[in-house]
Parts: sequence; C-alpha cells; structure tokens
Amino acid sequence: MYSAPDSHPVDLPSFHSEISMPYTLTPGRAAGTFLAEVKNRHIVGSRFPSGRVVAPAQDFSSVDGEELESFVEAPQTGTLTAFTRVQGDVIGLIRLDGCDNDFAHLILADIADLSVGMRVRAEWADGVTESILAIKGFVPAADAPIGEIGPLAETEEAIGVIPYSMTLPYEHAYGPYYGRMFDEIRDHGRVMGVRTSGGDDALLPPREIDDITHKRTGTWKACADTGTIRACSIINMAFLGQTREPPYVYAEIVLDGASTRLIHMIDIDDIESAKRQIKPGTRVRAVWTSGERKGSLADIERFEVIDA
Amino acid sequence: MGRHVGIVGVGQTHHSRRRTDVSQAGLVREAVNRALADAKLSMDDIDTVVVASGPVLFAAVNQPEKWVVDAIGAQGKSVVRLTSGGGAGFAGALAGYYQVAGGYSDRTLVVAYDKLSEGQLQYSISTLYDPFWGREFAVGIMGFSAAYWRARMDVLGHTEEAAAMVAVKNRRNAIANPYAHYKKEVTVEDVLNSKPLCWPIKMLDVPPISDGAAAIVLASEKVAHHSTGRPAWIQGIAYCCEADNAPERSLMLSEPLALASRQVYRAAGITNPRRQFDVVEVQEPYSCFELNYYESLGLCPPGQAADLVASGATQIDGDIPVNPSGGCMGANPIGAVGVIRLIEAATQVMGRNETHQIKDAKLALVQSGGGWANLRGCAVLSA
Amino acid sequence: MTLGKVGVVATAQTELRPIWGNAQHIDLISSVVGAVFKGTGLTLDDVDFIIDSGSDVLDGRSISNCGFLGALGAHHKEEARVEEDGLWAALYGVNKIRSGASSIGLLVAYSKPSESQPDLFWNSQLEPFYQRPVGFGQRAANGMQAQRYLAANRLSGRDLAELVVQRWQAASDNDRVLVDHLPDVDEVMAAGEGAAPLTELMFSRPVDGAVAVLIAREDIAHRTSRNPVFITGMGAAMDTHSFAEREVGRLASAANAAAMAYRNAGWSGADADIAEISASSAVGELLAIEALGLADAGKGIATALGGKVTVNRSGGALPADPIMATGLVRLAEAVQQLGLPELHGGGNPSRAIVHGAGGVGMQNNCVFTLEV
Repeated sequence: MYSAPDSHPVDLPSFHSEISMPYTLTPGRAAGTFLAEVKNRHIVGSRFPSGRVVAPAQDFSSVDGEELESFVEAPQTGTLTAFTRVQGDVIGLIRLDGCDNDFAHLILADIADLSVGMRVRAEWADGVTESILAIKGFVPAADAPIGEIGPLAETEEAIGVIPYSMTLPYEHAYGPYYGRMFDEIRDHGRVMGVRTSGGDDALLPPREIDDITHKRTGTWKACADTGTIRACSIINMAFLGQTREPPYVYAEIVLDGASTRLIHMIDIDDIESAKRQIKPGTRVRAVWTSGERKGSLADIERFEVIDA
Repeated sequence: MGRHVGIVGVGQTHHSRRRTDVSQAGLVREAVNRALADAKLSMDDIDTVVVASGPVLFAAVNQPEKWVVDAIGAQGKSVVRLTSGGGAGFAGALAGYYQVAGGYSDRTLVVAYDKLSEGQLQYSISTLYDPFWGREFAVGIMGFSAAYWRARMDVLGHTEEAAAMVAVKNRRNAIANPYAHYKKEVTVEDVLNSKPLCWPIKMLDVPPISDGAAAIVLASEKVAHHSTGRPAWIQGIAYCCEADNAPERSLMLSEPLALASRQVYRAAGITNPRRQFDVVEVQEPYSCFELNYYESLGLCPPGQAADLVASGATQIDGDIPVNPSGGCMGANPIGAVGVIRLIEAATQVMGRNETHQIKDAKLALVQSGGGWANLRGCAVLSA
Repeated sequence: MTLGKVGVVATAQTELRPIWGNAQHIDLISSVVGAVFKGTGLTLDDVDFIIDSGSDVLDGRSISNCGFLGALGAHHKEEARVEEDGLWAALYGVNKIRSGASSIGLLVAYSKPSESQPDLFWNSQLEPFYQRPVGFGQRAANGMQAQRYLAANRLSGRDLAELVVQRWQAASDNDRVLVDHLPDVDEVMAAGEGAAPLTELMFSRPVDGAVAVLIAREDIAHRTSRNPVFITGMGAAMDTHSFAEREVGRLASAANAAAMAYRNAGWSGADADIAEISASSAVGELLAIEALGLADAGKGIATALGGKVTVNRSGGALPADPIMATGLVRLAEAVQQLGLPELHGGGNPSRAIVHGAGGVGMQNNCVFTLEV
C-alpha cells in the first residue's frame, strides 16, 4: 500500500505528545572544575601527558583519549577560526592563546564584522555561574596581546551535579486505523478494532498488518464495554507523570470481542480488598467520562468490577 | 561455521547509587581500563568497539557512543551502539560476537553502561508505551511486570514467598560481590512485609538504581592466547523477541527466551540444562522474573519454579547456583547488566570469579533481556 | 577458514516524503517488510533475523523497536536494534551471515522526522556541558564546515547551489522521492539562512520513509536473484566527539572507513562505477566524495557534478534524508543501479561504493563496496 503514492487530505490532525523531564547530570572532573571556576572568571583548561593543552578542560583528549594530567588556566583571548550564524545567533570556533584545540561559543558581534583569524576576547555575564554561559560570548579584540597558559595551583571543588531539563515535543500521525478508532471513541463512545486475518476477534489497537502473521487484517468490529482482566497489579507508589493517586489497580483488559488487551485503571478502596476482588479473570466494565469525549483512551475514565 | 569467539578480558566499575565524580564518559573509561588491563591489551590492539546503554532518555544524551568514544580512546575505529532496553548490554555483546565471528574484527571491545542517577527512571521508561494507547497509564516496567507476575501466581504458583526467596538469595550473594553496592541481608519475612510498590512487587523485590559500566574483550581463536590461556568461549548465543501485544502472548512462559535457549542449547550441545550447567547468571529486574527464567530456560518444568528455589538447588551451595554474584539485587546499572552477567559467568568458567567461585565450574548459562519483557536472550560459556 | 560472501537479494522502499501524514511508523515499516519479498520466492518464514535502525528520540518512544516488532516481522525471530544509520544495521547483518550462524537476514531502517524536531535530534547528541548550551549543533557545524571549505577551495555558494539543483533533479526523476517543486539555482541561493553561508536548501532535507533490504548467503542469493549484488567490503570509523577538534577540510573517519572497505574489496574509489553517498549538507557531500577517494582534496565538485564515477544517481541525501535510514537507502539505490541497470540509470556498472553517516558534522562514517 505504501510503496505507491496515494492521495490523502492535506490537513490531517496529529496527536500532540511531549516528553519532558528534569535531569541531574554529572559533568565529571574536568568540566566540573571548569564550571566551578567560572564564578572566579577563570577559564580552566587541561594539560595532557603528551603536552597537549586544551580549554575548556576535558577529562580525555580528543586525539587519543589520554587522561588529563593537570589543570591550567587559559587566557581569555584567542583567535576566531571559523564562524556562522544560526537562527540569528552568531557562533564561532575559538582557539584560546596557547591552546591546541578549538571550541564553540557565541560571538557577540555582527557576522559582517567578523573575519577568520581575528583576535577575540571573552566577555563574562554577570551573575551566571556553573555554566559555560557564564561567558556570555566572545567579542572582537583586535589589539588584545597574546595571552599565556598559566598554572592553576588550586581549583574549586568540581561541581558534582548540574540540573538540566529536556523537552521533546512530537506531532504523531494517527494513520487511518488509529484515526478511525479514536473517531469512534469520541463520536460514538465505543472501542473498535479490526478482525485478524484468521478470526472474528478484534485486534486492539487496530493496524493494517497483523503483528504475528504479518498479513492484512480484516474488517472493523466494535468491542463491548465489558471485558476480562488478563493481568493486573496494585499501584502503590507516586511517580512523575502519574495521573491518579495511589493506590489503584493497573490492569490489562481484554474487552469482549477483542483478542488483545488494552491498559487501564481501576479505582480501589484499599490494597487488601483489591487483592481479593481484582485478579486475572475478574470481569470489568468501562466507565466512560461524563464530560465531553476527546478521542483518546482517557475518554474511558476507568474500569469497574462487575459484581458477580 | 564461523570462527570461535571467546571472552578474554573483563572489567567493571564498582557500581554505586550515584557517582558524582565521573560523567557517563568517565564511567565508561573506568570499565574499559579494567577490561583492557585484564586482557593485557591496549586500545591499539582493539579492532572495533561496540557501545551499549539503555534508552537515551535515561541520561539526556542521544547516541551517547558519539560522546564516550573519546573516553574509550576509540577515535578512528569502528564504533557502533546497540540498545535494547534492559537487554542492551547483552545485545551489545551479541553484536560484538558477530563482528569477530564474521571476520570483521579479531578483537572487539564491548562496553555497556548506564548512569541511572542522571534521570528519571520510571518516567523515561514509561515512554516505552505507545503515546496514543496506554502511555498515560504507564508505570515504568514495574506496572506490567507486576501484572504478569500476578497472572503467573495463579497458574504457576509463583507465590510471593517464592519470589521472596529469590530476593533473599540474591541479596545475600551480593554481599560478597566487590562490585555490588547494595549489600543487605534480608529474610523472607522482611521481603513479604516490605512496602508494596506495584503489588505483588514490593520494595525488597526491587533491585537498586545504579551508575555503572562493564566491559569485555571478545577475541578470535587466533589471538585469544595473547590475553589469556583460558578464554571463556561462547558456545552459543541468541536473542529473540515477541510482539508485545499478541492474542496468544504467553504471560506464563517467556517464549522469546525459550526460543533463544533452544537455539543456544542446540549450538552448545546442551540436552539437560538442569544437570549440565554448573552456574547460571540471570538478569532479574524484579525477583519474580527469576522464577520465570527457571521455567523458560528449562531448568525446571512450568509450575515448578517455586519448588526449585525452595529446594535450595539454586543457592550458592546448591547443584545449580543461580546468580552467585547477587544478580541485579547488588547493582543494577540497567544497560550494563547484560555484560555484567556475562562477566560473572565468564570469570566462573575461567576459575577467577571474585564474588564466589563455584568449584570446578566449566559450563555457564547467562540470560538477559528488556523492553516489554519481550526481548530476551541467553548464552552458554565454557572454558 | 574462508568466510562466505553475502548478497543482496531484494530491496523495498516507501516513497520518501517530507511528511507521511496518513501513516504511522509501523505502517511504513510493515509496508516495506511486506514488499521486499515480492518476486524472490522467499517469505518472512525464511528470514533468520531482523536488524533494525531507528531512533528513540525521533520516534518519541523509549526502546522504540520493542513496540514495532510485529511490523518489523520480527515476532519469534532474532532481532537487534542498532541506534545508528541503517548502513550499520547492514554491517551487523552481513557479519551475522558471514559467521555462518544465519543464511537470510532482513535489514530495516525508518524514521518520521516530520513528527519531531530534527534540530533537537541532532543537538541532543552533543555533550550537554560545553557544546549544547551555546547553541552549537548540526547547523552550526555544517555552516562552519562550509565556510572553511569554500574559502580554502575558492568555491562560491553558487557552486553549492548547482550541486543542490542537480541532486533535486535526480531525485525528481527517481520515483521513490516526492519532489513537489524543483528549485533552481537562484531559489537555492535565496532560500532562508540555514547556517551562514549555507542556505536552508543546501542542507539535506529530512523526509519520512522506510527501507528494507533482504540479504542472504551467497548460494541463496544466486538461487533467488537474477543478478545478485554482493557486498565485498565494509568499513566504519568514528571521529572525535567535538566537531571543533576534528581535522579541518577532511572527513578523516570517512577516509578510514573507506580504507577498510577498499582493503577487503581489493580495489578503491577510482575503480568504482557508481557511488551512493550520504551527507548532511552540500559541503558534507563534497567532503565525503573526497574522503572516499573519488576526488582530490578540495576538488569534489567536479566529481559531484559529473566525473568518471557517477555519484548519487538517486539524488542522494540532499533532497531526501530519512534520518537513520539514509545509508540503507543509499545501499538499496546502489543495488538497483548495479542489479537492474536497465531500469535504474542504464549502462553496465559493476562496482559501487555506498556511504552512510551519523552524528553532528558527520562524525561517524560507514562504507560498503558492492559488486555484480
């Protein structure tokens, strides 16, 4: 089907999803020391046993991985060896005087005023610490004298942990199968799957090609609101992103008419009664939201046990 | 058939809850240094490198092999990263194995790591779920692992007590492991009374979260002798999978593991795993999984795993010790665990295990895996 | 003992489109896995293993392979996820067959960059302490690489634009790439700034797509394919992490990778008839051409536009870069050109070079030699 072009509507809705979480990253000894020393407006570099000197400081040489031997202080001046502009920011490669490497940083100047080989000097940002951005960027410094690598007898203790966060946004295509499934959920409050190539039970979620046989799936089929628990556990801990307060039951449920499971939740009073009442084989029923359905699995608010 | 491949050098970090003195790169370097020293080699002697680590969302650096290449000293060499959830380390070793067996390399360094302290484990692993269908209900891998255990409780008798015995055994074994960091003797009662997290998984059924790295040097028959007179030969190795949502998916047996073991046993001449193996190392993300492995690996019939652990046979002094290293209970830097299990098994058959050398160990079985409990593999080592 | 030769039996690709708005990853993957067997007489049952290339960050899922196993055809088979460009999946697969452990393997690579932000995908590959915070990334690396290359070799943006136009034209002629509009040189020059001096159109264009390649042991390749293409050399090499510290004006790791492959093959760049080369930008392609020995340093443009070796008859990566799949698409294209010249470009080519790359500023490189 997808080997040939086919016509499709221009504006298809997509499913927005975001992965976002905080981190505590360890810079290691070299970067940790560099980041600790920026508050003193020092640029810390590494000297390697081979004699190679690099700044900002690195634990392992980019040439062959040798480990750093000592820290040094690099001068604040150097040469611009390349530059470009990306989305308005001018970024360049700088080789600090006395160093054997180039590194990237922001250049605080109009790109039209720059030339490869020009002298530049670090400009510091007030109040920024523990970041390479404590150096705001590098500015042209035509007359700056050539600086020298200096020894660093003492350094601040290396920073052990840097807070960080990463946010990754997505716009996922529904595709025709999930598209229809979620349309049915939103518009008709029912869960539909597709029959497998060999049988009558519905695959949920639906897709064109069966996961096991790799053959085309069959026709659409509505599943019931009722089903059977295939597996379940009692959630009793808090974690980032949780949508319900523990304790509650996490359940894999096979709806009547389906062959595969969906995942959902069951409210409980307490752990001990849940252990008794909710287990593989327990019959359950979907409790749909009383509010407006949006076309997602969360339109089913929860499942509840069907009393025998 | 291809060339024989052996493990000729091993090295791992002293795993810890959190290392604030080294970055991910530094952690990798420690393991690499140790493995190379153990193999009596320098990086110059290494032809190719395989890096393995868990999902990149664990530690905020995408394709981190591109960063840690400098720490390894592998600039200019063939470097590739494999990943497979908890099975990443094993998947890396498997890829390395084929580089040597396929003639692409004579010596391949496989280094696996995870620095779990950097990120949010449960949240990042919850993103394994389909964003459209179920992710909003995800509870890391603990939620479904517990649910599958619950299903096995009724049918196979994998009771909380039996899983607790696994936890007790592995935690006790870990005490002697110089590389483990979580060392605490517990009783079955302690485990049963520990806080339910995703019941039936309770606090003491759960391994720690760790920062750690492990590395092995794989060598062809031709050059192995430069490193050691007693390589741990890989007699069979395989890693299979199953679609996560299939009507007939067995929650009872791990079919991918059963398939992998069938392939590996055939290659290695194993007809009676219970009697032939001298030692077994498995990756138990929760204590309940070890029971599942006993059955899926054919160490006992389905439904008898609880009896097996209760019999004491899998204790250090039993006839088929499982996880004499302590398994994941002593240290769990997830992406590295597959390689750690290989190291523990390799050193057993090489006669130099640092935790507890099983006397006259000649044949070892290793299991590892990840994902939705749907990626599973095993290997047989002998010296 | 001698290790066997591995042949490519068949390939299949979806159309490469800026956005596959009506398909999920599994749809693209399952379509190529289903299509690759057509005409071979083989089925999924014959496949011993699947090696797949994909990215958690592009897919928006951790361990994304484990959710796609069914679509990959991997159920109850051996599967491996290489989180690098698809040509590295091929490297793994070939080694597996050469080892004798398996006889038929399926390689799959895919991505849907339209669902995420490629800049985030690339820039998150940088260590987060020095490079990422200052805004360095794939764009800046390519921009500076271009600045240096143009200055050192007295080339202009216009020269790059001509290359871009030629590549887009070739892609447009290729029915496997969707090209809605063919830019001319002026349009390429006038396109928005990508990273000075490169305009947006001088960067490779991310597209959605999937590719599958079926490889087999030599005897099976001969039995199933009328004109099997054999992999006769493979090499891979990675450069130092920091772009700023790599050799200027030369893709050293690409040259290393090529040397490994050529050593196996017993011939080198100049002996090839065709080459399918990956790149993150127009200058990246020129540097790759030079690193593969197809032109002297700084002289890549002549070869790129029409030298003894035909480069990127498919259009290459500039008009169509399905990140993570690009190198495997290059392999598939080269296989078509060698195995079915009457349908793909004509002539009588017998030797091809295939190149794949990964990382910011093409830090990682892989080279294959193919022969019929």
